[in-house]
Amino acid sequence: MHTIGRLSTRFSRRLIMMGAASATAALMLGSQPVLAQGKAPTGPIEITSGTSPGGTPDVLMRRAAKILNEEKIITNPIVVQNRTGGSWMVAANWVLNKKGDDNTVLTIAQPILTTPITTGQPTVYDKLTPISMFIQGDLLIAVQPNSPANNLKEFIDLAKQRERSVKVAGAQAGSTDHMVTGLVEKAGNVKLNYVPFDGGGAATSAFLGGNVDMIVLPPSEALPLIKSNKAKLLAVLSENRRKEPEFKDVPTAKEQGFDIVWGQSWGLAGPPDMDPELVKFWDDAIQKLVKTDAWQAMVDEMFLRSEVVPASQAKEHMAELHQEHLALLRDLGLAK
Amino acid sequence: MIDALASLGQGFQVALAPMNLMFIFIGVCLGQLIGALPGLGPSAGMALLLPITFGIPPVTAIMMLAGIMYGGMYGGTLTSVLVNVPGEAASVMTAVDGHKLAKKGRAGAALSVSAIGSFLAGIGAVTALVFVTPPLAEFALSFSSPEYFLLATLGITATASIGSGSPLKAILMAVFGLMIALIGTDPILGSSRLTFGVTELLDGIDFLPVAIGIFGVAEVLASLERSYDSEPIKTRLRDMWLSAKDWAECRVAILRGGFLGFFIGLMPGAGPTVASILAYVTEKRFSKHPERFGEGALDGVAAAESANNSAAHGALIPMLALGIPGSASTAVLLAALVLQGIRPGPTLLVEQADLVWGLIASMFVGNIILLILNLPLAPVFAALLRIPYEYLAPGILVISLVGAYATTLSLFNVGLTLFFGMVGYLMIKADLPRAPVVLAVVLAQLMESSLRQSLMLSEGSLVIFVQRPLSAILLLLVIGSLLLPLLNMLTRRRVARRNRREGSISIATK
Repeated sequence: MHTIGRLSTRFSRRLIMMGAASATAALMLGSQPVLAQGKAPTGPIEITSGTSPGGTPDVLMRRAAKILNEEKIITNPIVVQNRTGGSWMVAANWVLNKKGDDNTVLTIAQPILTTPITTGQPTVYDKLTPISMFIQGDLLIAVQPNSPANNLKEFIDLAKQRERSVKVAGAQAGSTDHMVTGLVEKAGNVKLNYVPFDGGGAATSAFLGGNVDMIVLPPSEALPLIKSNKAKLLAVLSENRRKEPEFKDVPTAKEQGFDIVWGQSWGLAGPPDMDPELVKFWDDAIQKLVKTDAWQAMVDEMFLRSEVVPASQAKEHMAELHQEHLALLRDLGLAK
Repeated sequence: MIDALASLGQGFQVALAPMNLMFIFIGVCLGQLIGALPGLGPSAGMALLLPITFGIPPVTAIMMLAGIMYGGMYGGTLTSVLVNVPGEAASVMTAVDGHKLAKKGRAGAALSVSAIGSFLAGIGAVTALVFVTPPLAEFALSFSSPEYFLLATLGITATASIGSGSPLKAILMAVFGLMIALIGTDPILGSSRLTFGVTELLDGIDFLPVAIGIFGVAEVLASLERSYDSEPIKTRLRDMWLSAKDWAECRVAILRGGFLGFFIGLMPGAGPTVASILAYVTEKRFSKHPERFGEGALDGVAAAESANNSAAHGALIPMLALGIPGSASTAVLLAALVLQGIRPGPTLLVEQADLVWGLIASMFVGNIILLILNLPLAPVFAALLRIPYEYLAPGILVISLVGAYATTLSLFNVGLTLFFGMVGYLMIKADLPRAPVVLAVVLAQLMESSLRQSLMLSEGSLVIFVQRPLSAILLLLVIGSLLLPLLNMLTRRRVARRNRREGSISIATK
């Protein structure tokens, strides 16, 4: 589990690199006078996203695109295009077929790694050109406000009473919350009842309706629920506690003696065999992006973290992430 | 209640500011257009325009996007009635009866009654939003997987009664639709199912290629057989408007459809499509002339169209009160809030009162604009049908295929649409009802995943369907919907037999 945590950090770093590379590419195109020696894309840039608008990765890339343009880090118009379908594989294939295209980059999110594993398709991450992983998100374990469990230990004891008696609201088989459920089962040596609803919204309504006992939430979604006393937080699954006043009292799983570290990370990758100079263009742009005030404000507002895995480490980082996800999904019996 | 009215007054101040008024107008016009064009449904249209809202204040952005949402419910009627291509999923029922009406020269009436029904249901739903949002949101949460399963089942069993043909054929076609829906990814296990290694099939076959193909393309194909000098549909001017008799027939349908749609809309798992289907079949039950349903029943169109609009508004209740999207469109609205840096959730009503009340007020304004737009235009659009079909057909085909492409930006769906066009053509030839296929495709996913979720929640016990009061009621409705046609059939047979016997007796005594 520790490995998984490390892996995801590295994954994030690589994603950051991907983002940076794409930003760099755009930069090169747009601001040739500044970066006269490097190569840059000319004309509009597409950031391909596999979620419909409003999904977290989509929101992040739209914010990134907006700041990149507004701060003139990249002057080419950046369009975030939603190519949904096949659990990100439609978006991935779109970019995989764009070999040699200077103007298209792909948003990297967890399904890029997990969909090939769970569906038995050939891996995707190793065919793309990683640019950067630059956004990370923490996850929290929440239970019903009237739950007898007040910490992770009590929760696990509750689950031990009868196998599968504790119900978990899930978004989708093989998604983040399913993997977290697997980690909890492993760390506590219990069996939970993971029920996949259709997406995060449906999972939340099942939880609010009192039909399930536990849910996995990112801080931004947990906040309104704890404010209105509709959920109780048991643990944050990061290495360290979050610093915001709202979350600083939520202990990590590790503090409570359960080695569960898992999170989400996002970044960018280019099409296969992307020009190294373009990768540099994006890498530089992402480095500049994450230093802007606007970006920092967004990261704080959405309760995320932004640690850059530059292009030089992105490939290795992605490979590690892939191994972590593969191992976990195998444990869950979801790998094909 | 006084509080609510005061807040609403404040909301109107926001909504009637010139800039906001302009964006509401732009929103509803775009919605009308997007709804009318097949393929691009309101949620996809809202999603496409989402980035544009970056530059404008959150309140204005939300008002415009919401305008697209309910404007789409008005617009979807148009292509359904005129060319039998549902502009968006919630207009499937309208395509069945509305187009039959158009063929009889009553397109104008169908369009007018839809506009009036949508308006009344919309205004009613927004009024409900003003007063009862928090308690209804809690009520909406008492619906979960078992209830959704029974709702979807109710929709499917009711398909047998749609159309005037044989119930057996209708059920068979519904099963065919369920089989189409099996293709894709298993909703519980996440493994691929019947995809034969085709990536495009991983998400399953969307309702749109099926609906556009089976309804629209098949209609065009079948028309090619007709001789070229076929008479265009004759529309007399006085048929364009609603007669007093039409209105008397439809006003109760609008009321029923509106109420039903609102309640189904506020359940986070259902949405306008399920609402319009169930409103239509409910109306058939209550109607004095159920035999007209499927052959062009004006009250059927009225119920379905009122229901989808009030459902679109009702879906805002869980969204505003709890931050839960009740439909695909409200999910985009939530996304817009997130993009603007506003965190939706149970605290939204308090923390963003201006935004929430501005939005609610804007929906009163927007619905009025849409009614003013749609009523005079209904006869104008209906007059389109005076164009001979052979000139109209290529246009319909182009719109259909562009629509199929627009949803996923992939040619795969275009091929799929043509394939289902051929399937639909064969179904016309074999005299098989087409609506049950499309309805089953629409409802199958909800039906399957909610059944499996229910059984997971109950750890395999079927008792969950009778344990929960709401699902017990729904279960009775499902059983009733299956028994009623059967009883009808039996009594009819007995009456027929008695008549025959009496007939033979009378002959014998002669």
